[in-house]
Amino acid sequence: MALSTPRLLVRFLGGRNLLYGGAPFPSEQTPGDSKTRNEETDKVMSSGDSNPAATPTPCVDIQGDGRWMSLHNHFVSNSKDKEPDVLFVGDSLVQLLHQFEVWRELFSPLHALNFGVGGDETQHVLWRLSNGELAHISPKVVVLWVGTHNHSHTAEQICGGIMAIVQLIKDKLPKAYTLVLGVLPRGKMPNPLRERNAQVNKLVKDAVSSLPHASLLNVDPGFVHSDGSISHQDLYDFLHLTPQGYQAVCQPLHAHLKGLLEKQAEN
Amino acid sequence: MSGDEMNPAAVAQAVEDIQGDDRWMSQHTRFVQECKDAEPEVLFIGDSMVQLMQQYEIWRELFSPLHALNFGIGGDTTCNVLWRLQNGELDNIGPKVTVVWVGTNNHEHSAEQVAGGILAIAQLLTSRLPKTKVVVLGLLARGEWPNPLREKNVAVNSFLRSWLPRLGHTQFLDVGAGFVHSDETISTRDMFDFLHLTAAGYRAIAKPLIDLLLQILEGTPEEKRASLV
Repeated sequence: MALSTPRLLVRFLGGRNLLYGGAPFPSEQTPGDSKTRNEETDKVMSSGDSNPAATPTPCVDIQGDGRWMSLHNHFVSNSKDKEPDVLFVGDSLVQLLHQFEVWRELFSPLHALNFGVGGDETQHVLWRLSNGELAHISPKVVVLWVGTHNHSHTAEQICGGIMAIVQLIKDKLPKAYTLVLGVLPRGKMPNPLRERNAQVNKLVKDAVSSLPHASLLNVDPGFVHSDGSISHQDLYDFLHLTPQGYQAVCQPLHAHLKGLLEKQAEN
Repeated sequence: MSGDEMNPAAVAQAVEDIQGDDRWMSQHTRFVQECKDAEPEVLFIGDSMVQLMQQYEIWRELFSPLHALNFGIGGDTTCNVLWRLQNGELDNIGPKVTVVWVGTNNHEHSAEQVAGGILAIAQLLTSRLPKTKVVVLGLLARGEWPNPLREKNVAVNSFLRSWLPRLGHTQFLDVGAGFVHSDETISTRDMFDFLHLTAAGYRAIAKPLIDLLLQILEGTPEEKRASLV
């Protein structure tokens, strides 16, 4: 039975119906030197008006069990009696991290909270953070890891979405530092999504370079081998990390975080 | 219902690569390759409920020692599992037990259709692997609060309970007891997103599953007790 494309798209997006706010997005930028970035384009890309990846959007419950909203509500109420120094927020790569030993070993001791939701795109994280998940906490560092699931957006739009989140965090938590983690490569062999993710990282790195309160950390320890392949021992489905993959990512992340926290303490 | 052309949940279908990184086919290809090298006694096939199990310690502790292979792919429906089994994932292997866990992602199908799809998988397994015993795991409850998907999964299990015993060499195992509390909620301690199991959640389902697997692999319970002495 042939499934129509929109339904297949829905299936890959975890069954979510995405509401797009605002006008249709601007046409593709010509590839070129990201150093000559256009400030106007940056503003447009991180404003909700023209970039769906930067428009706060909740997930509509298509499947019928309300799980996304349940998780959001949990995060909001959980945060009422916690005082985390570090908040991890993002998609399944953040969420799954919480399930493995590495979380207890490395991040619980840093008093970290985990607000990851599988499948989340930038606009979903933006909505969650705008609707209570930052209301009751004052972490010193926010670790943001999102973007790989933004399948209908360009690299520029995804960067705009990430930068909108960075700005929101600055507005709500003026003293917090935002550490954006680079989006990892995916797929067993080279493919357009690897290129897109690499471009997102490049654009975000440029965009945060002038900000004192944010930076991009590349956490890819070298998952892509010399033949261009990624191993299932690191990314079990060529997207999500195995416990071994997490160890490789998190050891340097942990060291970097400790350094940031120490700097925050000095200020 | 099973084998009926009218049941879309029993029609084999590959997952199309829309996202652009071809991960589903890469995973399938890896499983086909594993069939060439491995001699599993136990084969697990299904969706993310199967796939994620291999990432927790419990797989190494309890299932690896049984020489188990894990052919789970996140998001799979009965249609996708049927396609994979018909396209190489059963080649050259002769497991004594095949554990099937799939159906919760069949969002376009009714409970009866989903059960029919699972039945079709069990039938395919018993015909392709005459020596295997098939264990079908019941679908778990999902969602923090009561919702239509919980009712649907209960209905699927109900159909399976009555249909599967009519197939030879096949049994149904309900591993969902205890996940829904008296206030009707599911806890994130068991399902971190009200669908996927935590390490604690897997430990809870592993107990009845491992008991059944050992029973099948080692013959009767008396033989099992004798061999453990």
